Amino acid sequence: MKSLGTVSRRAGVLVLSVGLAALAAACGSTGSGSSAGSSSSNSITVAVAYPSPPKALLEQFTKQTGIKVTWVNIGWDDLQTKIAAAASANTYFADAADVDWSKVGEYQKTGWFYPLNKYFDVASLRSDMPQIDTFISDNDLMGMPFDSSFLVTTVNTKDFAKAGITTMPATLSEFTADLKKVGTANNMASPLDIHFATAEGLSTCWYQITSAFGGQVLTSKDTPAFTSPTSPGYQALAWMVNAYKSGLVPKGNINETDYQGFTTEMARNRVAAEMCDYSGSVASIYQVPSTSSVVNDTEYIPTPGASGAGGNVANPDGIGIPKTAKNVAGAVKFIKWFTSTENQATWAGLQGAKDVVSTFPLPARLSSFNLMVKAGNIAQASQLATILQAHAKAPFPNGAPPWYVQFSAAVQTNIHEAAAGQETVQQAVTAIASEVSQLKSSG
Amino acid sequence: MSAARRGRLLPYLLLSPLVVFIGALSFVPTADTTVEAFFRVMPLDPPDKFTGLGNFRALFADPAITTSWENTAAYVVIGVVASVVLGTAIAVALKQRFRLRGVVLALVILPWALPAVVEAVIWSWIYNPTFGVMNSSLHSVHLIGGYHVWLGLSRWLTIGLIEIVQVWQITPLSALIILAALQAIPTDLYEAARVDGAGPLQAFRRISLPLIRPALAVCSVEALVLSLNIFDQVYILNGIAPLGSSVMLQTYVTTFENLNFGGGYALSLLVTLATAVASMAMLALLYRRTEAA
Repeated sequence: MKSLGTVSRRAGVLVLSVGLAALAAACGSTGSGSSAGSSSSNSITVAVAYPSPPKALLEQFTKQTGIKVTWVNIGWDDLQTKIAAAASANTYFADAADVDWSKVGEYQKTGWFYPLNKYFDVASLRSDMPQIDTFISDNDLMGMPFDSSFLVTTVNTKDFAKAGITTMPATLSEFTADLKKVGTANNMASPLDIHFATAEGLSTCWYQITSAFGGQVLTSKDTPAFTSPTSPGYQALAWMVNAYKSGLVPKGNINETDYQGFTTEMARNRVAAEMCDYSGSVASIYQVPSTSSVVNDTEYIPTPGASGAGGNVANPDGIGIPKTAKNVAGAVKFIKWFTSTENQATWAGLQGAKDVVSTFPLPARLSSFNLMVKAGNIAQASQLATILQAHAKAPFPNGAPPWYVQFSAAVQTNIHEAAAGQETVQQAVTAIASEVSQLKSSG
Repeated sequence: MSAARRGRLLPYLLLSPLVVFIGALSFVPTADTTVEAFFRVMPLDPPDKFTGLGNFRALFADPAITTSWENTAAYVVIGVVASVVLGTAIAVALKQRFRLRGVVLALVILPWALPAVVEAVIWSWIYNPTFGVMNSSLHSVHLIGGYHVWLGLSRWLTIGLIEIVQVWQITPLSALIILAALQAIPTDLYEAARVDGAGPLQAFRRISLPLIRPALAVCSVEALVLSLNIFDQVYILNGIAPLGSSVMLQTYVTTFENLNFGGGYALSLLVTLATAVASMAMLALLYRRTEAA
């Protein structure tokens, strides 16, 4: 019989071993525990704020390349936090990850992602991918666009027709006047959706309406272009705040985000127009009978501008390779496959509904659009392709600055407060401009 | 090594996994945060460098941060008072025997069991100005003339409504703790009080309240810690708008939105210190009163 002491000692050692093993498992964040997944030479983890392509197509990729893909769909905001946390801790979390256009300058400066120039020829891609410049910072290609989302004006044609409007407004003043008529004809107190929650969508909407007024909010030297009351940026901010205060926009929108607006306002016919909609919303939201009461009633129109069609702000998603990736070669192969002409069209519905990537807006490539137009299976494909080619421009002339996140936080906070009546338009403009000066001076 | 000595070591061996866990997952990050709080850590503007109290000075000079401290103080006051008062009321009610008491008890616990994010999303629909239950309910009983925007326009209304969500979540645990304390009071005491002519209110004041003070202390500290660290409800219901921002939200914004990790470390350290000091002060106050009673 073993002594009690021996048993106790062995029990203690066992408990300690189990504890240490569990600790090692918990701390091993590069594994599949708290991190996105595992990676080895024949597998990659892809972390994006998007649903996965159909399993069968991912298996096709595995068959072609021998690379197994683990797809991790993380909410956009959570993903940004994860990227920052993993990069600053120098910890692996994925081999390919979302590169939002707004993060391009930040990633270039911090070196958190690999430049992709040696894998992709920007010059030859530019004609087919009009939004590729959005992902270039200081000549470095930080991500490959994998959709061609841009901001666009959407209207409910049925509501407009009820007000006797069949020719869509071309200018902002016509748009405002028409919306008032639409509101009266449809017993709609506030017919326009603009989202005023302190979120990225509010900042983007300001850039879009500034573009409608014919300008951009920053100069090519990243200085404020919106401080003069006659500047497009100032006029856009004043127009937005006035639209809210005058009741053109529902009062509840003060805390509404972009997708809430699309899904609970426009799709439910509580409003008749979206000023800052995303290209692709008609197909992915308004035409879905289970969640929309405006099926076949909505269409994109050229942005009503100051004196004619205004611009559209590019808002594409991109995919890049974090510096902590374990399988860079595999990630490059995957990105090439994911952004290829045929697959881009497939994600948007070329091969039928079974191969569609849910919520995918539009292909990143014009060649994919051409396939779609030929097949005739995307709503207003040719019109969207024209807008993409001719009007959709990067929000900033010099790409998103490295301090974009702080800038955007100042933009959304101050516009929100101006709409809520906590400060004036002039105060909001001054506060945003002051933030830009401070950010520029601090590097 | 003698058997007696080995026997004495056994408790330490058994505790060692826990010590390693807590050390690695709590003390090491805390120590690291404490050190880094005195460094300027900004990935957008490397390299890291020692800055002394620079991060703290910058935090106190930032109006968004000072506003968030004020807001957090309001969250704490409302959270502690409301959850303890409501928790006591629910516990007193649940102490009585009535039909379906078990069902009611299960329903009361439900909000505590739900994740804060889920609750905040549910309440965002309740507060929704266009189709929320709050507007339709108040309107149907003619308490309001038209639909209102509840969040984001008035600072104190926003804070109050956000804190309601948290109180809704933390009160069940307080009620359970207080209920357990109430049930532990010998019934003889109440019978003696009744014989002496004390009414229910007097019995509650003179017997129940003094004897459940330790439970009230635990509930108060729990509410204080949760309210001081409020994040999910604020973020979901009010975004990052300064109007109702809490200090934990500002920690997130400073660290991950502004990528000012040094500032984030410093703010985390301040929140930790504030939580520790306030908790200890509250415990000392309530336990001293308990002993005096």
